[in-house]
Amino acid sequence: MTERPSIGVRHPTGGIRLSERTWGYLLASPAFLLVGLVAVAPIAAALWLSLHHRLPVFGVDEFVGPWNYIQLWGDDRFWAACRTTLYFTTLSVSAELLLGFGLALLLDGLTSGVGGSPRWAQVMIVVPWAIPTVVSAQIWAWLYQPDYGLLNYLLHQARLIAQPIDWLANPDWTIHAAIVMDVWKTAPFAALLLLAGLKTVPRDLYAAARVDGAGAWQQFRHITLPLLMPVVVIVLVFRTMDAVRVFDAVYVLTGGGPGNSTETLSIYAYKTLFQTLQFGYGSTLATAMFVIVAALSSLYLLLLRRHLQEGA
Amino acid sequence: MTARAVLILCAALGFGCTPSGDRPQTPNTVLLFKHGTLSGNGAVLSDLLREFERRHPGLVVREELLPSSSDRQHQYYAMNLDGGRAPFDLLAVDTIWVQEFAKAGWITSLDAFLPPAEREQFFSGPIRAATFEGRLYAVPWYIDAGVLYYRLDLLARHGVAPPKTWPELVHAAQRILDAEQDPRLAGFVWQGKQYEGLVCVALEVLRSNGSDLWGGDRGRAEASLQFLRDTVAGDRITPVSVGMADEESTRQMFGSGRALFMRNWPYAWALFQQEGSLVRGKVGIAPLPSFPGYPSAPVLGGWMLAVPQASTHQQEVGELIRFLTSPDAQRLVALGMGYNPTRRALYSDESLVDARPLLKDLYPIFLEARPRPVTPYYLLLSQALQPEVSAVVVGRKTPREALDAVRRQVRRIVGSPDLPIHVEGL
Repeated sequence: MTERPSIGVRHPTGGIRLSERTWGYLLASPAFLLVGLVAVAPIAAALWLSLHHRLPVFGVDEFVGPWNYIQLWGDDRFWAACRTTLYFTTLSVSAELLLGFGLALLLDGLTSGVGGSPRWAQVMIVVPWAIPTVVSAQIWAWLYQPDYGLLNYLLHQARLIAQPIDWLANPDWTIHAAIVMDVWKTAPFAALLLLAGLKTVPRDLYAAARVDGAGAWQQFRHITLPLLMPVVVIVLVFRTMDAVRVFDAVYVLTGGGPGNSTETLSIYAYKTLFQTLQFGYGSTLATAMFVIVAALSSLYLLLLRRHLQEGA
Repeated sequence: MTARAVLILCAALGFGCTPSGDRPQTPNTVLLFKHGTLSGNGAVLSDLLREFERRHPGLVVREELLPSSSDRQHQYYAMNLDGGRAPFDLLAVDTIWVQEFAKAGWITSLDAFLPPAEREQFFSGPIRAATFEGRLYAVPWYIDAGVLYYRLDLLARHGVAPPKTWPELVHAAQRILDAEQDPRLAGFVWQGKQYEGLVCVALEVLRSNGSDLWGGDRGRAEASLQFLRDTVAGDRITPVSVGMADEESTRQMFGSGRALFMRNWPYAWALFQQEGSLVRGKVGIAPLPSFPGYPSAPVLGGWMLAVPQASTHQQEVGELIRFLTSPDAQRLVALGMGYNPTRRALYSDESLVDARPLLKDLYPIFLEARPRPVTPYYLLLSQALQPEVSAVVVGRKTPREALDAVRRQVRRIVGSPDLPIHVEGL
């Protein structure tokens, strides 16, 4: 990339004169095309499909307009899945952010301290994030196993429980079991992003604050937190989008059961689309999920923009 | 150095190519056979296919494996058969898919390859499940049915006979659990996770009470669902963990000596009798119990062979199906891989029964085995009722609420209170 394209650019005689802006669009068009092909086109196709009754098994393929959406509105299972998804998202994302923040501060303290940077600590913390979700869900399924799982054994040894708890078969526990697993897996991701953010905070700000007699909490509250806000929002956007779409973690752990108590929107959409082959209604579910994710991320971005404006 | 590496590479490639140069030049017809990963010795099947090739010069059969998960296979077939394509020539289908695939026009009628007279040599359950609108769309390959496993040693120690009815089972389990005082021993384990296996268990219990999930006597249907819940909550012979249990987790529980009775498919037997198994020689198998006055009602499982409508080698694949379901091939598969033949005559074949005496016990069970509702709507219906039955098992809904929801869902799916096509058991 040239630094200042307006300086020294010579248009060959007979060439088309284009404004810098137009050139920009022209050069970016392959990227737009790519995004259009891999993102916009499938979304549009799903939207189009969601306006149909499409059951290939029964040879049904008819345009029904908004009928699927009307049905969606009256579908208890959809609303239950919405509630489950939002509950899962709220709890897991907040826990991941808090825990990730704690881990990031800890790592930052370790790496900026004297005596070299203990990289192994960073590597250790990233391990859960590096394990494929399906594998970690299976590991947790074993940990949660009521009779010989590690979790019940430890709780029993610590005399916290008398009877083994059935984490995955008791509908009150199951969703929380899935949340704990998700937090374990993705808090490191939040920690990594936040750590990167922490590294950009100028150290002399803290020195100046200490000179002014600010305590650790005050430093955190008035220096670290405000400067880290953009990173926090990015973590929230990433994690919320992932949590709303959560599939593999919960599906491997519970399959959506027992009694649909852990059925998230993705699992409902998957079952509708791929197990019962209702392509039209399944696409309606997928579209609804897309709308929810889009709404949540625009909300976050709005918050971020406002914050940046206030900062400026 | 680079040049030398290239030379070595060329030599390696050249060497690798030589053997294929020896093959005959005539072009072969390749038949693609898709099926899920099978258990047991896979060489038995490939030997059979090589034998088929030997008998039919010019034909080559290539196996392509799918994951063993039945859901994943269904997904693969649905996506690859829709739209009249057929990237393969032969596929193994679950008994519950045949109606759906036939209705969708994805698989072709096999009437020509298994004439009605010959069908009578097979068990009637699979043939019924494979018949759509009067025509046969798949040939039964191997058969399964729900059975009751019990601990021979524990029942003998307490002088208890294998139970014939569900109340007897509860009674026997409670008596032995009381006497054994072993907190790690469960009375009766079954598949209670929210998935297809739970539907099988529920159908077996409801049908053995003269009812069914979609129709039949409402009171007896509720009582049967309540029975399932009671094993967990009232009679306490079933651990709560059954609410997340599938075939394998119950099999492992029983296999480690921690269960007295288990409902499962016959495959578990061979694993229990393996060297090093904790329950080796201590396991008995019996027909599933029923409620007094009604017969046992094992659910039919198993796999069948079908041909995609769009396959361009219909005649050749037909020959292959005839070969794979012939008595000789079924005998070899039963001996080498432990799958149960679909031809009835094999159950009195001495060489086979001597090697696998269990087949004698299974024969009457397979004769009784009833398919799950035979309708193209089956997967929709099963999906709708899995969460409802699961909710009953974990105590989230009463049987009454669950049955209300099931019947409401059926109306929503099918568009009327009555299914527009014949559904067995209604």
